[in-house]
Amino acid sequence: MNNRIRLSLSFLLILVIIGICGLSWYKANSPRQLTINFSAVVGQQPLVYNQINYPNPGGPGLFKIRDFQFYISNIRLLSEQGDYIATNSYHLARFDNEKTIYTIQFNNIPNRSYRAIEFAIGVDEKANGTIISQGDLDPNNRMAWSWDVGYKFILFEGGLQHGDTLYPLVYHVGFNENYRKLSYPVQGELQASVDFKVDIMKLFNGQANLNMAELSSIKFDRNDTRFLADNYEKMIIAVKQQPAK
Amino acid sequence: MKIKQACYLLLAVTLMIVTAEYYQSKPRPTALNGFSAPFVYGQFTTPQNNPLTNEAVALGRRLFYDPLLSGNNKLACSHCHQQKLAFTDGMKNSMGVSLKPLSFNTPSLVNLMWGPQHFFWDGRVNSLEEQALLPIINVDEMDQNLDELIDELKAVEQYQRLFSKAYGAINKQNIAKALSAFQRTLISANSKYDQFLAGTIKLTDEEEFGRKLFVAHPDVKASLRGGNCIDCHSQFLTSGFNTKYDGFTNNGLDNEEQLLPGLQAVTGKPEHKGLFKVPSLRNIALTAPYMHDGRFNTLAQVMDHYNEGIKLSSTLSPLIVEANNIVNGNKKKPSLNLSMEEKKAIVAFLHTLTDEQFIINTKFSDPFLQEIKIE
Repeated sequence: MNNRIRLSLSFLLILVIIGICGLSWYKANSPRQLTINFSAVVGQQPLVYNQINYPNPGGPGLFKIRDFQFYISNIRLLSEQGDYIATNSYHLARFDNEKTIYTIQFNNIPNRSYRAIEFAIGVDEKANGTIISQGDLDPNNRMAWSWDVGYKFILFEGGLQHGDTLYPLVYHVGFNENYRKLSYPVQGELQASVDFKVDIMKLFNGQANLNMAELSSIKFDRNDTRFLADNYEKMIIAVKQQPAK
Repeated sequence: MKIKQACYLLLAVTLMIVTAEYYQSKPRPTALNGFSAPFVYGQFTTPQNNPLTNEAVALGRRLFYDPLLSGNNKLACSHCHQQKLAFTDGMKNSMGVSLKPLSFNTPSLVNLMWGPQHFFWDGRVNSLEEQALLPIINVDEMDQNLDELIDELKAVEQYQRLFSKAYGAINKQNIAKALSAFQRTLISANSKYDQFLAGTIKLTDEEEFGRKLFVAHPDVKASLRGGNCIDCHSQFLTSGFNTKYDGFTNNGLDNEEQLLPGLQAVTGKPEHKGLFKVPSLRNIALTAPYMHDGRFNTLAQVMDHYNEGIKLSSTLSPLIVEANNIVNGNKKKPSLNLSMEEKKAIVAFLHTLTDEQFIINTKFSDPFLQEIKIE
């Protein structure tokens, strides 16, 4: 009888140990979620559409933003244990919502120790050269030029008020050479939510600040588009993580 | 042994009765035969509660052509949406039972699963199902009381059969669903342009010249001439864009004082004043007159508008103001500054969007006429 109880107790103990081990193994290996937030601002000011209240970066007058959107693509998380590469990762970031935030949600990220987040602004050469719909790429959407030119990577449209004239502002940037890869180190453990700030003003701040009155539209001129691409490469800023509670 | 056999028999009979009841009470519509959508149009969705079925489309087609749907039983949907004119009526203003010219031009019904999913010129409804009943009850259009319509339909044996096969009950929702299902099948994708895209034919030099201008936003600095059409009309669908209200624009028809509310009536936003839905240009050569109010009779007039007739207003698209084919254009008098030859070429390209099969396809035509022929 005594022996029986002892046997049952040991058996129970083994079960409990297996359970605890299993649970911690599951916790360590079960997929996790990741939310990436991109929050748009214009310099020190919040983004408000269709309001003439932002200073011309390199000249006189104030400008308004009617539309602003761009492609974020090929998101990857780098890890010594193996990178996580998102599939069909073409995300059209738009901010015409109440909080001017664009959010990308992943639900099945392997639970690893990640050291960096990488993504690109624009559309990679391969995807830019086909009319196959993948992710947010759609050859009939507003970001598509004609199929032999490819996609606009970034679209900015608005107006510059100077004197009594409203100059139309059209900045469309595409072309493979303007695809820009970005990398952001992960500080400590990767949090469930990672925040970025998108400063639209930085699009016009580079080696020189763009005077919108002089150059109110950029589309196909290779030098001008490269100027904007060099600038937008720096427009996404990682927001410092709050330490986990 | 005998009891056991009797039990089995009883069970089998009960099962048969139950199955028969089940099949009788619940419609079993079948997935639409031979349905295909062109690759270049991209993805599309149909509402979960209204899939494309043979039964729904057959019912919708009959309703679409049945004058029973109007109050005086004289006008069907097809009165304003005539197949031979790519489902338009050739009139400047739509005109229904009241014989009053209405303030808008009848839009073509084509490729409705793509492009803006907001319907009417001002985008005031967000699905075809929501749209379908509104012209029926509008006093100037079909002026029909829906309860009366349901009674009238219930009195027709064929409708009892068609409804029960497609949806079940004869009610408002199912009338709307059937009309929507039929309209979703109105796909035009066999124009000269489509054949060119598929690589089976070549465009003439003038058409190809026009196509290049159609898809180009002009950039003087990069020595690129363009008609700037593609900034609003997507390259394959030639409709407005599908996301949110991207497919609505103020294309400079009126100055500030004359600007109609347009999309602003729906969203309440001042930046949407004077914006109207960008239509598909498929079969555009057949759908004159043009614009939301039918103000232009010919494509040449439309080209003249975009080339030198733009009127300034606060919500005018910056893409229109900015597009110019000469250096230092006058911003206060926007003009594309295309040559006569270029304008003509764009019109020639627009003619390649005509789909001769679409306008005679018997799947879309009046089922009552076919019945007469068979008799």
